[in-house]
Amino acid sequence: MLAEYGDEAKPLAGGQSLVPMLAMRLARFDHLIDLNNLGELTGVEHTGDGLRIGAMTRQATIGADPLVASHAPLLAMATTHIGHFQIRNRGTVGGSLAHADPAAEYPAVAAALGAKLEVASVRGTRLMEAADFFEGAFATSLDGDELVVAARFPTWDDPSGFAFEEVARREGDFALVGAAVGVGMDTAGIIRRASIAMLGVGGAPVRCTEAETALLGCMAVGGDLDEADIGRLALAGSEPTDDIHASSSYRRRVGAVIVARAVAAAARRAVESSREGCDV
Amino acid sequence: MTRGYRSPDPAAVSTGVEASEAAGRFVGQSVKRVEDRRLVAGYGQYVDDVRLPGMLHAAFLRSDLARARVRRLDTTAAAGLDGVVAVLTAEDLNHYVDSLRSSVNPPDLAIVPGHVLAPGDVRFVGDPVALVVAEDRYLAEDALELIDIDYEPLAPVVDYEQAAGSPHLVHPELGTNLGASGSGPDPGLARVFESAHLVVTETFHQQRQCNMPMETRGLVAHWQRHAGRLDLWASTQSPHELAFTAARVLQIGEHQVRVHMGDVGGAFGQKVYSGRDEMAVLLAARDLGRAVKWIEDRRENLMASNSARVDRLTVTMAVDADGRILGAEIDHLSDSGAYPLGGAPAKSAQLVSMFPGPYRIPRLGWSTATVFTNTVGRGAYRGPWQMETVGREMMIDLAAQRLGMDPLDFRRRNVIERAELPHTTATGRVYEQISPAETLEQAAEMIGYHSFRAEQAEARARGRLLGLGLSLFIEPTSMGRGALGAEGAVVRVEPDGTVTVSMGTGAHGQSLETTIAQVVADELGVEMERVILRQGDGTPYGFGTGGSRSAVIAGGAARAAASEVRARIGRIAAHLLEAAPEDVIVDRGSAFVAGTPARQVSVAEVADAAYRRPESLPEGVPEGLEHTARYRAPEVTHSNAAHACICEIDSGTGVVRILKYVVSEDCGNMVNPMIVEGQIAGGVVQGVGGALYEWAPYDADGNPRATTLLDYVMPTAAEVPILEHGHVVTPSDTPGGHKGVGEGGAIGAPACVVNAVNDALGPLGIRLSRQPLTPDTIISAIAEAESR
Ligand SMILES: Cc1cc2nc3c(=O)[nH]c(=O)nc-3n(C[C@H](O)[C@H](O)[C@H](O)COP(=O)(O)OP(=O)(O)OC[C@H]3O[C@@H](n4cnc5c(N)ncnc54)[C@H](O)[C@@H]3O)c2cc1C
Repeated sequence: MLAEYGDEAKPLAGGQSLVPMLAMRLARFDHLIDLNNLGELTGVEHTGDGLRIGAMTRQATIGADPLVASHAPLLAMATTHIGHFQIRNRGTVGGSLAHADPAAEYPAVAAALGAKLEVASVRGTRLMEAADFFEGAFATSLDGDELVVAARFPTWDDPSGFAFEEVARREGDFALVGAAVGVGMDTAGIIRRASIAMLGVGGAPVRCTEAETALLGCMAVGGDLDEADIGRLALAGSEPTDDIHASSSYRRRVGAVIVARAVAAAARRAVESSREGCDV
Repeated sequence: MTRGYRSPDPAAVSTGVEASEAAGRFVGQSVKRVEDRRLVAGYGQYVDDVRLPGMLHAAFLRSDLARARVRRLDTTAAAGLDGVVAVLTAEDLNHYVDSLRSSVNPPDLAIVPGHVLAPGDVRFVGDPVALVVAEDRYLAEDALELIDIDYEPLAPVVDYEQAAGSPHLVHPELGTNLGASGSGPDPGLARVFESAHLVVTETFHQQRQCNMPMETRGLVAHWQRHAGRLDLWASTQSPHELAFTAARVLQIGEHQVRVHMGDVGGAFGQKVYSGRDEMAVLLAARDLGRAVKWIEDRRENLMASNSARVDRLTVTMAVDADGRILGAEIDHLSDSGAYPLGGAPAKSAQLVSMFPGPYRIPRLGWSTATVFTNTVGRGAYRGPWQMETVGREMMIDLAAQRLGMDPLDFRRRNVIERAELPHTTATGRVYEQISPAETLEQAAEMIGYHSFRAEQAEARARGRLLGLGLSLFIEPTSMGRGALGAEGAVVRVEPDGTVTVSMGTGAHGQSLETTIAQVVADELGVEMERVILRQGDGTPYGFGTGGSRSAVIAGGAARAAASEVRARIGRIAAHLLEAAPEDVIVDRGSAFVAGTPARQVSVAEVADAAYRRPESLPEGVPEGLEHTARYRAPEVTHSNAAHACICEIDSGTGVVRILKYVVSEDCGNMVNPMIVEGQIAGGVVQGVGGALYEWAPYDADGNPRATTLLDYVMPTAAEVPILEHGHVVTPSDTPGGHKGVGEGGAIGAPACVVNAVNDALGPLGIRLSRQPLTPDTIISAIAEAESR
């Protein structure tokens, strides 16, 4: 149908972003294609190297799913920050990713974990890296006739730890700035893998590669890791947006604080996960 | 005087505070709200729930420029759309209305021009230009997009601090942007300032806020030409003011107007007066002869209803070395926007008059001005004059800091003590039944003032930013002058013994269905559930509900009418029981002879006799069982309160969390303590919103930047602290000893929160005086302090 109607049609998922836009007459389509009855688009599946989550899986389902909690804990942590429970009961992972709000949580998590998106059209199915999928604010590389079918979130090897931090005006508001962080260690407690993705800083989620590199080789806890420094490095040179809720300089300064807090928490959890691993 | 406070333990709520002397079976008790049975279950009836046969729907085309000339306005395509009944412009409607005067505006006051729709030029973003009436709302909005309009942009006046000197005029008809001004210099002040130990000057700013009722404005109007009758369903605080406006605009008699009141989903001052939008809808309904519904959407409510609190107050205060206030001078500037609600620009008289608040301030000099700008008009908002408390309470903290004195001690030194009453302020107000010193002590005790200071010192040592704020004020309530001077009530016992109370009020959250029933039930000696309140059509004239006036003024009228009916019940019952009227007691719905309760007759039987068996009535007692009374209120009744709160600031993100909030207040005898606390709590939440969250700014071109609830940030349940309430009870000298309490929460809270934030930021050398204190404001202040 997307191929048939082109720009005149839009898929309707949870409707938590699309319907307000229609109500405010910011967008109008001749056809809405309701995805809500497509059972094959829902569900969390374990695929060996990670999780495959159907596009129509509700945010609330993801937040409560035991597989998500154990195999992609960062996704579960981020979920509690999405709106209010009423929103999460309707909103979907596919909608969140496709909508690509610059302050949304899931795109940052997808970027941090290196998720892949399964995208389908009458022309066939392709797998896209999160890094290639997000192009900017509300912009993705999805073609007009394509649908997000599922997102694949890889599971990180233990010992690893994750943290999601954000600051918002109120409980449930879109973040002013936030960070999704993953830290993987070797058995000696040295960081061997690091991922930092920020939301609210650029149009698309921003991976802070310099800061990630600086983390590698540090002791996760009790050593040479200077979180504040990592935070500053993560935001160095960035030009975050300016809006009614916060200035660019706020986002830059507080973004660094948020990254520092998330890095500290993720590193602590990585160490905890290695201890639990020993106990077993 | 009684006092008492309790913990926020919900189980404690029903136990109530210590009963005051005036407590009755119902009055003084925390009776559950009668309204909630339907509201909580989702059966409230709001304007949008009204559906009439053949009803049409209206939508406004609003300007998207702040100031422009309309070069072309072509409605042909819109009018031609299937389902569109009419497209009306200034040409069709404006000649009907000469001014936007309301019933409370004195005749000599400058009134903005009476343009119903924009007259060839637009004066703010949101200015109504055309009204489309169609078979449904969707069609009406579709038609708006077909209206062909072309503007020639003109330079807008956006910044109110520059408006008076601007060469551009908001209303060319008036020849000036100055809406009103005044001054009252005190020549003796100069000498006081010269010789004082310390003179402190600071300017405080409050930002644009919106009333934000959950139910936006709305109106259904149905003119039946042949019956000569206008039926209105309105979300209003003042059904009689609406009837007044409708009759004046349509040039019909007030007796032809019927205002039907359902539930009102909040108003906070926004629904006292009818504005231009309502007038346009009334005129359209008259022209079309069919019912027309207009429901404002949230975007319109934010950009075109009204805004409030755009104030600048400069305070200069002189103190002696012991911390005694010697005198003050204030300069107030406010923004009236383009078309202020109620027709007249904001006047600052109330603000000046209240500035001394609960303190001995022997001298006060003042100057005030309000200006027009190309922004949405100013309107009343819960405690419209509260900038006096904002400025005074922040200045007091600042003066205390400069003196090196604790802010509680500073207040203790200046607060008016009971022994000094009556006290006349420098502005001529006379306080008689107030208790500011007692509420200050109670609030300090409840917040744990002294143990907090120790905790704060320890927290500071560990780098945490904890702060405590205080705020005291006197709340002028039940102001009774002019159209506001009196209210009426009809108390009628129906033939079956149930009781109807008809009043000109417009309850919109005050719980009058409960509190008036409490008052009347006690006065009559019947069960509360037998008493219902009727508002709107057919009720005696009254200005309505607002200005914290209904408990005292409308309640006074209900009490007076009920007391007369009770006397009549006594006389009829005495006759039926063959006893002397003075021996008859009416209680719990029956009348009996004192000492022999077995000799009794129910109020229902008395009513039956009064209506259906006139021959059984005693000589001289009129048939029927109803009485109309009007109560003339004293000019003002003063309530007072002390607020205290503790907050913590995250120095990394600038986020403020309020950890504890207490209010000690004195509103005289409480009709219903639970409802009093509800009124205070609601006001505090709005005040917290004003201090930390809510803001409706304009950009330099006059575009509103907050037109959805995504951008206009209201505090929610998650942000609001649990409140603890304390009460000091000093009865007023009105019948029942009540005082108003509707606005105080919103008056006291902003200064209390800002003072707490400044106290927390003290160690960093930061003191903020411009609201709102968003995370961004706080972080940029911290960044600036670091770079000093
Ligand atoms: C009050 C409120 C607060 C919110 N707070 C947050 C928050 O804090 N953080 C946050 O991240 N979000 C927040 N949201 C947005 C919410 O999470 C949305 O649910 C989400 O952004 C979109 O998901 P949806 O399923 O509702 O998609 P819809 O609204 O149905 O669709 C959004 C867009 O995505 C497209 N789309 C949907 N599914 C697909 C698909 N499978 N393939 C291709 N395109 C698709 C639609 O065509 C549309 O363009 C909030 C929403 C509200 C109303």
